[in-house]
Amino acid sequence: MTASAPMGRPRGQSMLPVYLLVAALLPLLLMPLAAVYVFAGRGGLSAFVNAFTQPDAQFALRFSILMAFATAAVNGVLGTFSAYVLSKFRFRGREALNVIVNLPVAIPTVVVGTSLLLLWGPIGILGRVLDPLGIQPMFAPAGVLLAHLFVTFPYMLGAVKPVLDELEVTYEEAAYTIGASRWQTFRHVILPALRGGLFSGTLLTFAHSMGEFGATVLVSGNLRLRTQTAPLYIFAQFEAGNVENANAVAAVLATLSFVLFFLLLRVTQRSAPRAG
Amino acid sequence: MLRFRARQWFLSLPFATALRIGVAALIASVFLYGAWPWLPIGRGRPARTLVFYGFSILAEVMDDGVFPAFQAEWERQTGEHVEFVSSFSGSGTITNQMILGVPAEVALLSLELDALRLEQAGVLPGPTWRDLPYEGVVNRTPFIILVRPGNPLGIHDFSDLARPGVAIVHPDPLTSGGAQWAILAEYGSALRTTGDEELAFEQLLGIWRNVVAQAASARAARTQFESGFGDALITYEQEVLTDLASGRLEAEIVYPHSTILSEHTLVVLERNIAPEEENFVNAFVAFLWSESAQAIFVEHGFRSVLPELDEANPSLASIEDPFTVADLGGWAMARQQIIDAVWKARVLPEVGR
Repeated sequence: MTASAPMGRPRGQSMLPVYLLVAALLPLLLMPLAAVYVFAGRGGLSAFVNAFTQPDAQFALRFSILMAFATAAVNGVLGTFSAYVLSKFRFRGREALNVIVNLPVAIPTVVVGTSLLLLWGPIGILGRVLDPLGIQPMFAPAGVLLAHLFVTFPYMLGAVKPVLDELEVTYEEAAYTIGASRWQTFRHVILPALRGGLFSGTLLTFAHSMGEFGATVLVSGNLRLRTQTAPLYIFAQFEAGNVENANAVAAVLATLSFVLFFLLLRVTQRSAPRAG
Repeated sequence: MLRFRARQWFLSLPFATALRIGVAALIASVFLYGAWPWLPIGRGRPARTLVFYGFSILAEVMDDGVFPAFQAEWERQTGEHVEFVSSFSGSGTITNQMILGVPAEVALLSLELDALRLEQAGVLPGPTWRDLPYEGVVNRTPFIILVRPGNPLGIHDFSDLARPGVAIVHPDPLTSGGAQWAILAEYGSALRTTGDEELAFEQLLGIWRNVVAQAASARAARTQFESGFGDALITYEQEVLTDLASGRLEAEIVYPHSTILSEHTLVVLERNIAPEEENFVNAFVAFLWSESAQAIFVEHGFRSVLPELDEANPSLASIEDPFTVADLGGWAMARQQIIDAVWKARVLPEVGR
């Protein structure tokens, strides 16, 4: 790799760091990603299409996408709201709340799944009350959504709150002095500045929801054609020895994430100067 | 000149807008793709749904054989379409899930012990599976040893697995029913050959000293073995028969002189079955013991409760001294005297796990 001479670059600027980065990422990131595609395509195109068009593979993929959209939508709004409150309001216990809302990143997802089951499950604290009413969130899409909302909560917050904290208070004050309400200020002053944060937060939430496994496997009951998400499908197929089926869905998932990320990043980059 | 004009025109295109519309359209189409099955656009819901939980090795035989056969049968009889919603995992895992309340209507467990656990947890009102045909046993399969091609270590019986230097892949008894059967096979075979409990303990200990990996289910253990880990795998015969035949798995089966026939127990969870579904579920349960379903099990490498059907599958080799859990006094006793008193109390501490 180092044999090719650098061209069209300012003199003295070595490309060595770039090569080093690629060399470091190769075994850590790039080769495992490539392996997904290699194994997915091992049986040829027809085998890939066949694996991908299995009804349970299709269902798992669609279900994951739907859950990711729902999670991104709910946490997009809720996360922005909590970032706003935690950043702009001073109240007792703010610091504690600040730490608590970030905890889901550190808690093992299996623990999240278990605690949701013990809370909402048919023999859980809340579930026992809901069960006679015919409401059973666990082992149903609602349970998967609850788990994803919990696990991905900090991402939106993490993307938006630093921007809010950095935001000059003078703009807001100026808005208030010309008689803008809190909502108007938020809508016309704060929100436009948050664009980048909103985009990346929603993306992270969406992506993490697509890939969530530990909590989902517990709360979903892992039911094919009903609550099985794409990662659960991949794991089940891998465990059953159907590596091709597993990798076909994994490849589609990876491609989908790549395209979405790439395009959304392009859009945020293009619109960033205008937003300022 | 022309090139310049073309370039000008190209750059004057509203790219940012086009890109935005493109991205928005892409996101919308991905969303539409995801939401499609839930949209109420002219699709008849299937008339009947049956929620089935099964232990790990059942996935193929149910999905490819029994479910389609019952669908055809039911459609012929009633004209209704049946949808199966299923989940396959280690027997202990699905048992725990049922205790936590998954909506399983019918479940096929790898061993009666898990059915007893369901009864204890109040999921089943009593030992209801004993009222089913064959006391709930749907099919059987012996425990065998799988070794690498050519049997390089010369393993011919369970006793050879206790030799130092043999790396064994074993399912985890905590979550896998197959692992519990395997323990009974490892202990029971020595007990039957020697009649000495101490020698049986020695063999079990020797085997467990050699266990290098514990997988969550029999299926997962096989996947580990398949990916090149270990010298020997102790598992269900059925688990490896079809893959050996198709050439997917390069390995050899070693039939021990004496081994256990696992018996797989069906449970029907009345509390999850709506009254109007009862006849339908019962029809499915009865179907599992019908000759056509039993023949499907045999075709997929299980041994039938109707032994005369086994002849249809030539790869079901004969075993010199097969035994069942009944020969060890039934599951309640085998659990107490072998799993708890020998394996848990004496083998595990020695192995140092």
